[in-house]
Amino acid sequence: MELILSDRPLSLPAAPQREYIDLSQKKITPCVGCFGCWVKTPGRCVIRDDAPQIYPLIARSHRVLYVSQVIFGSWAPRMKAMLERSLPIQQAFLRPHMGETHHVQRLVEEKEAVILAYGPESQEEKDLFCRLVERNRRNMNFKSYKVFFCREEEVQEAAMQEVLSWNK
Amino acid sequence: MEQVMILNASPRAARSNSKEYAAIFSARCSLPCQYFALKGQPASRLIQEMEHFSHLLLVFPLYVDSLPVDLLAFLAEVQHNPPQNKPRLSVLINCGFLEPGQNDVAVDILRLFAKETGFPMGSVMKLGSGEAILRTPFRSRAEKAIGQLAAAVEQGKATEIATAMPLPRFLFIRAGNRYWKIYGKENGVSYEEMCRMDIENP
Repeated sequence: MELILSDRPLSLPAAPQREYIDLSQKKITPCVGCFGCWVKTPGRCVIRDDAPQIYPLIARSHRVLYVSQVIFGSWAPRMKAMLERSLPIQQAFLRPHMGETHHVQRLVEEKEAVILAYGPESQEEKDLFCRLVERNRRNMNFKSYKVFFCREEEVQEAAMQEVLSWNK
Repeated sequence: MEQVMILNASPRAARSNSKEYAAIFSARCSLPCQYFALKGQPASRLIQEMEHFSHLLLVFPLYVDSLPVDLLAFLAEVQHNPPQNKPRLSVLINCGFLEPGQNDVAVDILRLFAKETGFPMGSVMKLGSGEAILRTPFRSRAEKAIGQLAAAVEQGKATEIATAMPLPRFLFIRAGNRYWKIYGKENGVSYEEMCRMDIENP
């Protein structure tokens, strides 16, 4: 399936096997680091807000468009909260992966990820965000990824162009 | 008089390894240290507190290759409502994985924050295997590195320190997996159950 995960409202074409999540309309509280999703209720977060409806979609998607503001070279808090709450899609157990230690994934599809990042002005901040995504790919099961930057007022159009390219 | 504001930005706060790391730092630093937890505190109060300190030490775990979301939100608030006095920013970051270098991007995010907001940057300590090291025979390595960080903060230096358990990767993974298996068992969850591949199924 395809997933569009955005930290702001967007108007995009629907399609079969495509989900669109506007995180600005969801209640996603920060991860409390309890490890419950590993050692008490494996694969399930103990916090029952909107996140448990979303991380299974992330796991099942083979293609994801992440739309997020960037601050200090990082995902801004709304998207970052969701990424942290996706911990149940991994196991506690460790494995060697890409020359480092990482967690074992549960049933998580390999992804073609597209990241539409808005906000950063300087090349330094853009480069730093790209380095962060390169790190994330190891934990978020990206088979491939592309990062695009745009200004806030360009987000709707840029997201539309990306999603229309999926229809071709 | 110089003094250090230690801010624990772990989401687990009172039960966190970061709290223990902060206590070790306080014990080894000759400057007066005052401990604060980010969790449950209004950002405005913590920003107000910054006015009284010459150093700010952030202590936190790596979350998804970056800063915990509460810390990010706090830094955004600091950017919008900065204190008049900007203490020198030092960092003690730990990740549960073996490699201290997995903290590099998070540290650079803080460096960029410091640059954009005018906080002078101090020293950095990057810890790998930080979830476990305090309860192993390698605890002294972490304590020694924190002592070096404390000395660097006292001297106003901008140094970078990195340490971790001195284990080959395969051995760290074996030990870590044994730890998690026991942790699950203590909660009445079997190894097989912990290994389940499905997500959100009851």
